[in-house]
Amino acid sequence: MNRNFKKRDRELEERIAQDYQRMVKECDLHLDKMDHELPSLIEPLAEQLESAGVSRRSFMKWSAVTTAALMLPPVFKSRVARAAEQFGRVPVVWLHFAECTGCSEAFLRTSYPNVDDLILETLSIEYHETLMAAAGYQAEENLARALRDFPGKFICVIEGALPTGMDGKYLTLGAKGRTGMEVAREVTSKAAAVICIGSCSSFGNVQAAKPNPTDAKGIGDALGIKTVNISGCPPNPVNFVGTILHYLMFGAMPPLDSLGRPIWAYGKRIHDYCERRPHYDAGEYVEEWGDTGAKNGWCLYKMGCKGPYTYANCAKVRFNDGISWPIMAGHGCMGCTEPNFWDTMAPLEKPIAEKTFGGGEKTVDNIGKALAGVTAAGIVAHGAVSYIKRQGQKDIPKPQDEG
Amino acid sequence: MLKFRMKKEWWLAIRLIHWSVVITVFTLLISGFYIAYPLSNGAGATADKFCMGNIRTLHTFFGVFLTFLMIWRAYLGLFAKFHARWHDLLAWTNIHNLITQIKFYLLVSEKKPKHEYQYGPLQSLAYSGLILLQIAIIMTGLIMVGANYHAGFSTGVGSLLKPIEIAMGGLAGVRLIHHIIAWGFILFIMVHVYMAIWIDVVYKEGTISSMVSGRVFRKVD
Ligand code: HEM
Ligand code: SF4
Ligand code: SF4
Repeated sequence: MNRNFKKRDRELEERIAQDYQRMVKECDLHLDKMDHELPSLIEPLAEQLESAGVSRRSFMKWSAVTTAALMLPPVFKSRVARAAEQFGRVPVVWLHFAECTGCSEAFLRTSYPNVDDLILETLSIEYHETLMAAAGYQAEENLARALRDFPGKFICVIEGALPTGMDGKYLTLGAKGRTGMEVAREVTSKAAAVICIGSCSSFGNVQAAKPNPTDAKGIGDALGIKTVNISGCPPNPVNFVGTILHYLMFGAMPPLDSLGRPIWAYGKRIHDYCERRPHYDAGEYVEEWGDTGAKNGWCLYKMGCKGPYTYANCAKVRFNDGISWPIMAGHGCMGCTEPNFWDTMAPLEKPIAEKTFGGGEKTVDNIGKALAGVTAAGIVAHGAVSYIKRQGQKDIPKPQDEG
Repeated sequence: MLKFRMKKEWWLAIRLIHWSVVITVFTLLISGFYIAYPLSNGAGATADKFCMGNIRTLHTFFGVFLTFLMIWRAYLGLFAKFHARWHDLLAWTNIHNLITQIKFYLLVSEKKPKHEYQYGPLQSLAYSGLILLQIAIIMTGLIMVGANYHAGFSTGVGSLLKPIEIAMGGLAGVRLIHHIIAWGFILFIMVHVYMAIWIDVVYKEGTISSMVSGRVFRKVD
């Protein structure tokens, strides 16, 4: 028995080792190919890191952390570093639709440089409405040139939902006043891959929240295409960087879940990684903001934490170079990586069981109690009438059979 | 003088299932509502406590037990050669009988409906509804169990049910629907217990004891 297990373990280990060897070979081949194919970088990453004061050592540490986040074994550390150097050579067209630009802001605004942000800055962005200097017809010409120069080669990154109502006319862009739907259809049809940044482009987010007057939808839904969804409001830059690194290393997008989110980043729930989880299982909950539980860092379940319903890796990679993340800072997760979270996760600071229907106090439990009350009243009334009727008919106690 | 004849109404397997379901559903109701509104306990060290963890384990255990009871009952209903088979759930299709039954229950008429099936017409409707409730609560429950574990059988079931999870609006929707159905069980139990008592009193056939002994007393003319 035991020997059998040992044999099976050994076989498994061998198989895994073989798989890794195969992956390493594929990865090296693809990185070589990319080296030949991609346009060269104006300023290599090493120089950029140096001028920002990031040491080689921090960069190597970053590649180790990113390798682990991507769920790859340590042999991939040097390959992740190599892919990071190629990162800025992937041509990118970055589109903005119905959104607040918060995702771009989150990616670009940092108090001090960290490697993820610097890598993002090396991105060879051919077109980005917030960042580019060009405007009007000149901007449109830039977009057209990018589509001409890199057909089928560039990555289309999209921020923002697409209003589909009124023929898409709720959103028109640029000097020619084209609708978001038209622009999106044209650009995505020529892209090597479409990556949706943030919950708006992934699932519609607040624009699509009830009653959704503009009939806004995520890109995949609106256009009927397959997209890679880096959801979150805002999403973690690590999840975007990691996905592009995977593309550079293996020539394909990473495996996705049924909602188009990379499994390496969105495969487990907040609740599964949460550092407050022991308090959840022990029964130690924050009952109101600022109480002893809050000071002791207890579980935020009763303050409406939606970690148990939310697939994301915030607890693992955290934000701002791993400094903190929402639950660490003391507020529950609000489920921002899930479709329609404004509707499904409401009320945001109360447990899911306290959702109200049609406003007021109508929670499931209050409706249930009311129905139980009506049922009880019905039972009492029925019992009473039955009793009175039978009292009056003492002689005929037995009901008659029909057949 | 009235004469009664004893009749075998419920086989042992059905009685066993019935009372197992009673215990299981009560445990699930109590543990389920505890999970929805857990109590905070600040005394002692975190590492020594596992209250919520244990109650969730209990709930999951009985949830999976309920799933197996349901499968067993479905097997009996479909393949076993005795009463309480699946077509007894069709008693309501005799609309005339159904109306007679409703009038009788509403105390409008004294006429009893015909004894065609194991269940009365309204009873068959109520039990069909209960089966649907049970399927729904088991499916939503299994989706949540699947999300709680990351390997093994439940994860497999969880990924099979993934399309349903997404159609319900993610795990939050699944949880809410699970909670709503839990109330369906409470309402069902209230009416079910009352009707059992009422019929026991009115028919005098020993309805309640029949679920224990298996026998009812049918009147002989
Ligand atoms: C009559 C049957 C059942 C009742 C009354 C019931 C009741 C409940 C309730 C009230 C909740 C809390 C929902 C909330 O937080 O709003 C819950 C949670 C849950 N139930 Fe059930 N349930 C039943 C059957 C099942 C079954 C059959 C399963 C699984 C096979 C199951 C698995 C779960 C799980 C996994 C949770 C979530 C626990 C957690 O993740 O911490 N339940 N149930
Ligand atoms: S704080 Fe939220 S995610 Fe963390 S254990 Fe509690 S419920 Fe789960
Ligand atoms: S903790 Fe939850 S709400 Fe906060 S960013 Fe992560 S997924 Fe979004």
